[in-house]
Amino acid sequence: MSYTLIVAEVRRGVFEERNLDSLGLGTLLGGEAVLLVPDGAYEAADKLVDAVVKIKAPEEVYLNPMNMGKILEAVFAARGKPDHILFTQSSSGMEAAAYAGLFGMPVITDVSGYDSQAGVFLKSYYSDKVFGQFKAAGAPAILTVRSGSFREFAAEKAAAAAAEAMEGAPSVEARTFVEYVEEEKADIDITKAEFLLSVGRGIGNQDEVAGYEELAGALKAVLSGSRPVIDKLWLPKARQVGTSGKTVKPKVYLAMGISGAFQHIAGMKDSDCIIAVNKDPGAPIFQYAHYGIIGDIHKVRDKLKELAKG
Amino acid sequence: MLEQAATRVLTCIQCGKCTGSCPESGRTPFNVRMLVRKKQFQSAVDEALPWYCTSCGACTIRCPRDVKPSEVVIELRAKLVEDGDIPVALQKALENTFVQKNPWGRSRNKRADWAQKLDFEVPHVSETESKRLLFVCCIQAYDPRCMVIPVNVARLFKAGGLEFGILGEQEACCGNEIRRIGEAGLFEELEEENKAAFEEYGVKEIVALSPHCMNALKKEYGDTGIKVVHYTELLAPLVEEGAIKLPGSFGKKVIYHDPCFLGKQNGVFDEPRSILSAVPGLTLLEFSRAREVSLCCEGGGGRMFFEVEATYQRNAEVRVLDAVDKGAEIIATACPFCVMTLEDPATEKGLAVKELSEILTEVL
Amino acid sequence: MNILVFTKRVAATQEEELRITGEGQAVDLSKVPFKVNDWDNYSVEEAVRIVDKSGGSVTAISIGDAESDEVLRRAIAMGAKDGFLVETGDILNDPFTRGELIRSFIDKEKVPFDIILTGVQSEDDQFGAVGGVLAGLMGLPYASMVIGIDAVEKDHVIIRRELEGGLQEKVKVATPCVLSIQSGINEPRYVSIMGIRKASKVERKVFKADGYEKGSPKIELVKWVYPEKKGGATMLDGELADVCGQLLGILKEKGVYQ
Repeated sequence: MSYTLIVAEVRRGVFEERNLDSLGLGTLLGGEAVLLVPDGAYEAADKLVDAVVKIKAPEEVYLNPMNMGKILEAVFAARGKPDHILFTQSSSGMEAAAYAGLFGMPVITDVSGYDSQAGVFLKSYYSDKVFGQFKAAGAPAILTVRSGSFREFAAEKAAAAAAEAMEGAPSVEARTFVEYVEEEKADIDITKAEFLLSVGRGIGNQDEVAGYEELAGALKAVLSGSRPVIDKLWLPKARQVGTSGKTVKPKVYLAMGISGAFQHIAGMKDSDCIIAVNKDPGAPIFQYAHYGIIGDIHKVRDKLKELAKG
Repeated sequence: MLEQAATRVLTCIQCGKCTGSCPESGRTPFNVRMLVRKKQFQSAVDEALPWYCTSCGACTIRCPRDVKPSEVVIELRAKLVEDGDIPVALQKALENTFVQKNPWGRSRNKRADWAQKLDFEVPHVSETESKRLLFVCCIQAYDPRCMVIPVNVARLFKAGGLEFGILGEQEACCGNEIRRIGEAGLFEELEEENKAAFEEYGVKEIVALSPHCMNALKKEYGDTGIKVVHYTELLAPLVEEGAIKLPGSFGKKVIYHDPCFLGKQNGVFDEPRSILSAVPGLTLLEFSRAREVSLCCEGGGGRMFFEVEATYQRNAEVRVLDAVDKGAEIIATACPFCVMTLEDPATEKGLAVKELSEILTEVL
Repeated sequence: MNILVFTKRVAATQEEELRITGEGQAVDLSKVPFKVNDWDNYSVEEAVRIVDKSGGSVTAISIGDAESDEVLRRAIAMGAKDGFLVETGDILNDPFTRGELIRSFIDKEKVPFDIILTGVQSEDDQFGAVGGVLAGLMGLPYASMVIGIDAVEKDHVIIRRELEGGLQEKVKVATPCVLSIQSGINEPRYVSIMGIRKASKVERKVFKADGYEKGSPKIELVKWVYPEKKGGATMLDGELADVCGQLLGILKEKGVYQ
């Protein structure tokens, strides 16, 4: 058996937590797990792999798929070709298919399950309504791994990972990193937020809004609201979620004090994960939520703030 | 069509009766008299303005020169629609209607799911003798709050021995709001589809649950030879004659709100009132602005699907405050859009909003 | 400036309950309506805006059955000059196969291009891979998650990529190149029914897919399965601190909170 090459996602000095899912799948695949990382000072999960190959290339070079193609070539030359090459399903992993084209390898993206018996990978179709079981017709196969799918399988190894350094290749002209651009704080576009904290009429009065703003800040969420909140001018129109406001599809939609009127639901029902907090167990929003908390929203808000800051 | 419109606006004498009756006047930047003026001179119009219109029809009804200012607004909107430059929320509503035949984008396959709440089967209209079609309406087919209306009316018709059938998944949006949004091409497609179904199944009579649907089917689908009524027009005689027994009691003060598309635009004022008067124990109150001059709730003109720019006290809130002044406990109405727009402000002021069928069902 | 935009007709499954037929052989799409892939709509809009500013023309290309003509007409109504249908009745699940087919088509028909645009992914298979595969096969520079095209120069473009958490990176990409466009890059114009009818007057050229190379599939779809049953909302129970702790755990798992 060959090895599994796990290409770590490291950005702005952070070894992204979703790498754990790649590591988990690596463990399930069995065999040697080799973690590829860029140059830089950061905490890598080296207890969860057999070997760590540190490329002497800074992040911006490493994360550039035009350069990564060359880096991968160098790894294959040094270690032979792996059975699988794993990337995170992320903005970075969304470019991994380029290596499939470059090297003529099979590619399966957004892998969220693996059946070792059948040797198939589970891939979502139609927004998770059905899943396709896929087999790669050859090795190496490139996989991008869905966040949250495999991290519980990442297992600590008996021995520490063997550390290896590798020369980076010169970066190519065809594509170059210019700079990072931070999100503009003015003129919020809630449709672009990954995480929305949405408040409804249940918050009671305008004075409570500040507390929810603080919570949004602590959780790094963007504050939005349902129509009654905007009609009362507690939040600006740009923050309105619903048929006559904006339609949003964030990764997480945390609805507090929102009952779930039809027109509101229409604006957020395709969110990846809907969490509803409401004191009314019969609130329609619970029919659309993935997770629910029945309780006093102000108390939940304050406790979350406390835990988030701590 | 365009030539007629062009000459029609030239007859406008700028008397201002239109703006005088407009529910958006004075509270928003919308000035329909001015828009007609601009059309006369082919001048540019601020593209946010035409979207304020609620299609209440008051301007067209009161115009002494048959200018039809509400049609002028639709023409202005049509130009914006063809340019592709319309609010995103409206685009969504139109695109949803194109794909799923309802502006909410709900699955067409689930359009008849409401009927599962009944303890009897509702036949397809082709299986009925009377070929009486109950035209359900998009919001009533899908919105949990409004779904009770077709369920109630089905029960009431059964109690009154009135045979009816539905089209189920074959029903497409009537297109009333679509036409008012200015998407003439999409309206035509919906009209064609519905008319083909009416013809295929030999529909003889259409009973609409929403005054908006009734309006489109009766006045804008051309000469189909099919009789179109609002359900209250069929229920009223049944209730008056006692064919539907109302043994219960409803001891509340109920004020009736005339929906624009039922009242001022289609002249149905008495039937809903006679139904309410027949409910035992009910005290029927009237708004000062009632019947032809009923205050538009701002649910029409496509306004259910997008937000206008201006912030102002909504007519729905004004209406609720009027109801409070008159001592009402309940606002009754016969249009699902009125129900939706009035309910939020009503709940805040401690009033309830009930569609007529909900009141009848409680005393059935 | 010649821009090729790929546009796909996809099943609108958001509101539908899907049924798997047989022993997992296929998904029953017979009662599902179809529409243009949302990402491709943004792509076409972006392409049209670029040529409006920089001159040139947009060619829309669709790989699919005859019904895919619908999305070509739509692209033309939005401002594309041409529409090409590479007609196939096969469902090509493997993005590699699609990429090969496209590469072969472009080569054989000598379709000129400076920039090739795809959507980040399609609403049906959500592979998000065709753009990358194509770029790799053609040896072209590639960028996905493109949320802004800030400058289009003679030999390069300056684009912004959407990263996580509201962060973006500005990147310079040499042309010719392949870019995968992220939704939200612009506000696509509304295309009216009358507009689509008008677009029908422009000829859409049809090419048969079996006239081009697509190689053999590199992945195999073994069968379809349903996801694990999740009945309604999972209610979080317990003391306030416990419940809130659980909530934070969910946020961490979803990757929105560290």
